[in-house]
Amino acid sequence: MLNPIVEINDLVKEFHEKRAVNRVSFSIEKGELVAILGPNGAGKTTTMLMMLGLLRPTEGKASIFQHEPGSKNVRERIGVMLQEVSLMDGLKAKELIKLFRSYYPNPLPMKDLIQLTGLGKEDLERRTEKLSGGQKRRVAFALALAGNPDLLFFDEPTVGMDISSRRLFWETVKGLAREGKTIVFTTHYLQEADDYADRIILFKKGKVIADGKTEEIKRKMSKQSVSFIAKEDIQRERFLKLPFVTDLMEKDERVYIVTDDTDAVLSFIYGESLPVKDIRVEKGRLEEAFEQLTETEEEAI
Amino acid sequence: MNIFIQQSKAEMLRMFRNPYYIFWSLLMPIVFYFFFTKVMNVGKDDPVWNAHFLMSMTAFSVMGSSIMTMGIRMVEERAKGWTTFIRVTPLPSLAYFSAKIVGQTFVHVFSVLVIFITGALFNGVVLSFGEWILSGCWILLGSLPFLGLGVLIGTMKKVDTAVGVSNILYMVLAITGGMWMPMDILPKTIQWIGKSLPAFHFGNGAWAIIRGNAPDLMNIVMLSAYLVLFMIISIYIRRKQEAV
Repeated sequence: MLNPIVEINDLVKEFHEKRAVNRVSFSIEKGELVAILGPNGAGKTTTMLMMLGLLRPTEGKASIFQHEPGSKNVRERIGVMLQEVSLMDGLKAKELIKLFRSYYPNPLPMKDLIQLTGLGKEDLERRTEKLSGGQKRRVAFALALAGNPDLLFFDEPTVGMDISSRRLFWETVKGLAREGKTIVFTTHYLQEADDYADRIILFKKGKVIADGKTEEIKRKMSKQSVSFIAKEDIQRERFLKLPFVTDLMEKDERVYIVTDDTDAVLSFIYGESLPVKDIRVEKGRLEEAFEQLTETEEEAI
Repeated sequence: MNIFIQQSKAEMLRMFRNPYYIFWSLLMPIVFYFFFTKVMNVGKDDPVWNAHFLMSMTAFSVMGSSIMTMGIRMVEERAKGWTTFIRVTPLPSLAYFSAKIVGQTFVHVFSVLVIFITGALFNGVVLSFGEWILSGCWILLGSLPFLGLGVLIGTMKKVDTAVGVSNILYMVLAITGGMWMPMDILPKTIQWIGKSLPAFHFGNGAWAIIRGNAPDLMNIVMLSAYLVLFMIISIYIRRKQEAV
């Protein structure tokens, strides 16, 4: 934690007295590929806009490369894809990319950027307003990379992309991460965060409710249980005092032991020869756990 | 500097590719010109009146694209998030904005040339070299308050509102400014209103130049005053919008 590339401290954003972001803090190190995950209205985009200097925080502070967000120095080193931004019309895709290259001190070669768009010769010569939604997103992706940035921000990047564009996009992003670029993206798709991010920052109602390696978050989120029908009464305490048991519930004559180690529960049951029958091991699906954890809130803005 | 040149070039290209520009700023004034001087023959082939009306139509063209293109573009780009996006790139907002003005001015130079050449070639308008240059420069410089008005329209939230308002302003200014028909044949009240609006003073400077006179000081004062006024109001509105 010596030189965080992104650092945000106690960030608060209020819109008309309503808190969209409520005391959020985290820092991101060089080379991390971070997903900001959460349902719509959880404050992900608002937080990202504050990191970019597009929104002023009500309280708290964000800094990038230890500079003020939005300063020229920062803008030359970041690449951004925002939601609901269309391309400048009246220019051909190729002309727009060329124009963007002129903004940066060390742009990527034109040839690389063209490759990133995946557009053919003909489409590159078409005006941006004549491109399909997916093609526009890909041009926007090339624009984000025009300056060969060290740090990339993607706000819901794959919305509007078809499956093959999506795959191509993520493959490229993985490659960029391998090159040592730092990447932050927001998403409300658990799958995307799980598949591509090294780290997940989980948002709910404007707060960070979990932050850690993808594996850890997954383990935390996915509940497992061992359930059975008890032939005689078994004291609840016998299970609850076990270190690997987190909870015990009874439902439809079945007893559910919630645990993070189902094997240990099974060996306990057999070891103690408990009077139970019809034992089942259930692994909660990650998606369900995610939904439970975050329960879609109404839009915060 | 390179950023700025590239950006201005891009803005110029975008305007030339805009079919509305071609229609409203080139085709319409030229068609009007021929309609009034040839078909209606209002001036009975009086060479001064032909030159006068050529100035009216050139001013009409440049005024229109100043008000409409500038304002509507700005609203559109804000509505589409482009203005926000520019703020995360190294392109300074000032360069983004001034490139629009530079790009637009180049396009105006083109409009002036095309309309002047049309008048000279097809309607035999004869002016001295100095008069051509001076009147052209007057029209380019005098368009500044209308660019200012465009910027003011550019602070509107909705594209539809901006289109509607700028169209109405454009027409009202053109008529009360004596660009379609000479000021003296308009009703007295309209003349009075027209003289307190910038369009008449814009046209009047060019009308004076082709008659071998210098533009009235009043024309310069009125145009400058309107430019300052529009700028102050735009800045005030922008401040209020950005306070969020």
